Amino acid sequence: MTRLNVPTPPTLSCGGRVLSNTAVSTGLIRLDLELEMPAYFAPGQFAMLNTAGPADLVFSRPFSILAVDGAVMSFLYRVVGRGTRAFADLVPGSGMRFLGPLGTPFPVPQTDRPAVLIGGGVGLPPVANWYAVHGRPGDVACFGGRDGGDVPWGLLDDRWLISVDDPRDLPDDRTAFHGRVTEMAAAADSLAGDTPRTVMACGPVPLLKAAWTLARQRGWDCFLSLEEHMGCGYGACKGCVVPVLAPADREGWRNATCCQEGPVFRAEDIAWERYGVSPLETTT
Amino acid sequence: MNLPAWWTTDPCAAFQLGPRTFPGRIWTASGCFAYGLTAHDIASPDLPTPYVGLGAVVTKTVTPEPRSGNPMPRLAELPTGAINSIGLENVGFDAFLAETLPALEARGVPNVVSLAATTPEHFGPMVEKLTARASGFAHWHGVELNLSCPNVAEGGHDFGSTPEAVARCVAAARPHLTDRALLVKLTPNTGRISDLARAAADAGCDAVSAINTVVGLEVDLTTGRPVLPRRYGGYSGPGILPIALAKVDEIVQKAGVPVVGVGGIGSAEDALRFFALGAVAVQVGTSQMKDPFNAARVARDLRPEV
Repeated sequence: MTRLNVPTPPTLSCGGRVLSNTAVSTGLIRLDLELEMPAYFAPGQFAMLNTAGPADLVFSRPFSILAVDGAVMSFLYRVVGRGTRAFADLVPGSGMRFLGPLGTPFPVPQTDRPAVLIGGGVGLPPVANWYAVHGRPGDVACFGGRDGGDVPWGLLDDRWLISVDDPRDLPDDRTAFHGRVTEMAAAADSLAGDTPRTVMACGPVPLLKAAWTLARQRGWDCFLSLEEHMGCGYGACKGCVVPVLAPADREGWRNATCCQEGPVFRAEDIAWERYGVSPLETTT
Repeated sequence: MNLPAWWTTDPCAAFQLGPRTFPGRIWTASGCFAYGLTAHDIASPDLPTPYVGLGAVVTKTVTPEPRSGNPMPRLAELPTGAINSIGLENVGFDAFLAETLPALEARGVPNVVSLAATTPEHFGPMVEKLTARASGFAHWHGVELNLSCPNVAEGGHDFGSTPEAVARCVAAARPHLTDRALLVKLTPNTGRISDLARAAADAGCDAVSAINTVVGLEVDLTTGRPVLPRRYGGYSGPGILPIALAKVDEIVQKAGVPVVGVGGIGSAEDALRFFALGAVAVQVGTSQMKDPFNAARVARDLRPEV
């Protein structure tokens, strides 16, 4: 596996205060955190967040970074367990701890390859940020939600192609494809033809596998942002590994840290037959 | 912070442990800070690096052969600590000696090398090669024998449970390590830790580290099954602090061998509890995972006010 070569800003450990922590859809919450100092990140990087004080969590939690504006960094998350439930209860002014940016980001745009961005549910931030920072006229951005209420419409302008598994609760002024986001991408007129493209995807494992399948069918490059339970998030504990191909190794594969070598991996580097689904929906 | 009157030690001043002078008494624990090469480039507003003031980084445990470790998930976080089943994933002794240890020396990271093996006899050759390669290194200060990791499934790994096995491991390592500290990390998962400590001391070690993780298990309520693939793992963090203190006290009171205290330290006050009972140094482990600067803050907070 060749490491992706994308310059990344320095990692910072500091405090922050919650500016806002509000729902942007039925399932997704946007957290705006004002850090002690301005921070920077490359699209696809993440941060480890924790509550501050004696009731903090034993492990910080990994959150993909949606945006930054000066010292204010924004995240999207879903309540899936004890940690995210604690975050959902934070009111403006609450103190937090921040460690970031972390991880390997998405690649920089290639001039000869338009991008295909695919985000599913809470996987939106990395692709939305890449699109906001790098998006060019030929790039196509796709978002998939569970139903109309699950889509964070305010974060997705008219350029986005939007799909829903279930078409209920759609706003009157927006349309959505009924089906999976990768089915929508496969059928999109804007993605027809022979132009080589680069897929960047983030979301549940079935979405990642479908994005890789689509990319292989079309001959497109494919970069996937994987998600694993993490301990430290910065390479100290080996709690978050992903199996990757390693032809030179005795068994042809090795473990890579999702927090350092990932979370963005080239799809063809992943040892798919060994890569399982983390039970992230049970406790986070 | 207000330090108690009885605390008059500078934790960042050099001190003697066995034949070796260590730069300080606040160390990081094995498995919680990789090999000591991670986090150098992480910045914070109040400390220049996560390594400032540390007496040693105890490396991730190194085994004779590389190990890829256990399948995921490897961690179960609880309100009171965490259960880990990493499975001793490590680069293997040869790569560690050729690449990792020289890199630690080049970076000036004070370190203690943690070693594990499937039989006591493996320790001799590893320590011999370590000494041959690194006796001239300024920053390599000792070896910690990991005899008590509960996450490796092969039979014969439970060295840590009997004084006889502990003694054999120490006896295998000691002849090859004359000018560095030899420590044994003891398991709490046995009845008489002071007996293990006494056996280690009688066989020639300079100190014991106490404690390693406590065997624990977490159930996934969605499935009704254990979260971790190997069912059990090692429980660490704030919940084991009182257990660690009891074990350290037992060793200090009954075995009379120097103790490096470890288990649940997150703050300077936690560290002071170990020092109060007679520990000569402490290791910060799980709390490093939520903040790489934790150990450095403990060291800073325990320094005498200038």
